[in-house]
Amino acid sequence: MTEHSLWRFSRALHRAINERQPADLEALLDEDVDWAIYGPIDMFPFFGSRRGKAAVIEVVRQIAENIRVHRFDRESIMLGVDSAASMMRYSLTALDSNKPISLRIAHFAQFKAGQLTNLRVLVDTFDLVEQAVGYPIHLPRMAV
Amino acid sequence: MTADLHRQRLLNFLDVYYAGDIEGALARCTDDVEFVANAPVDLLPHMGHRRGTEAMREMWTTVHARYSEMRCEVPILVAEGDRVAANIRVFFRKRSNQRMVQFDIAAFYTFRDGRIAQIREIIDTFDMVEQVLERDVSAILRNDKPE
Repeated sequence: MTEHSLWRFSRALHRAINERQPADLEALLDEDVDWAIYGPIDMFPFFGSRRGKAAVIEVVRQIAENIRVHRFDRESIMLGVDSAASMMRYSLTALDSNKPISLRIAHFAQFKAGQLTNLRVLVDTFDLVEQAVGYPIHLPRMAV
Repeated sequence: MTADLHRQRLLNFLDVYYAGDIEGALARCTDDVEFVANAPVDLLPHMGHRRGTEAMREMWTTVHARYSEMRCEVPILVAEGDRVAANIRVFFRKRSNQRMVQFDIAAFYTFRDGRIAQIREIIDTFDMVEQVLERDVSAILRNDKPE
């Protein structure tokens, strides 16, 4: 039974982030890969959309300069023929402040011939921002 | 085969829900349906954790009351066994000022006996809060750092 593309991609991505070794990841990216991590790009410049292998390798390099992954637990995973979706909890360190960050992430990945063609990542960004700035954001409560 | 069935059931559920038919949507959920969404519940108190038909009816009625128009697109759907994950792009028009709110949701559904038994959502909450409350939260953070 062939290993699903998600597992190879996941290992390569974490190696690119934690060990700053992007070669495995580069081999698993489609030349025209469409990549997006939704979130406030003015606070986290490595969020947002990227197109193409070179742009994705560059943004992963930026992520590696900003965070270190300590642990991730898959809470839910679905594997399609050429697609996958996961909900995960990550424990990270923000390297500039040395702050521990815990956040929940969902991703949708699509593959073609074993290479990543599309990645969408959603993050609980309000929680992430509060953890990054280190204090709760006070805003008016919405009426029920 | 089961996954294909649940994929279609989910699309039917979304059609009904976004058409405003709350009772039709509830009929596609189990009586003990559980809903969990990451969200700042101190700002958006109708969100968070809900369980059971009555709690879901209350939450969905609150949401539908706020928006005069609701629609969605589903660019990605992944199904395996009794679970379906959907990347949903929602478009809501506010009743209060007619402004559109648009954001993406990662929604993970678990089916039991052909009905939805669990919904878990992850949302780009920072963007959602800025649009829903119409506040530039980044600017607030720049100007309002605590001592």
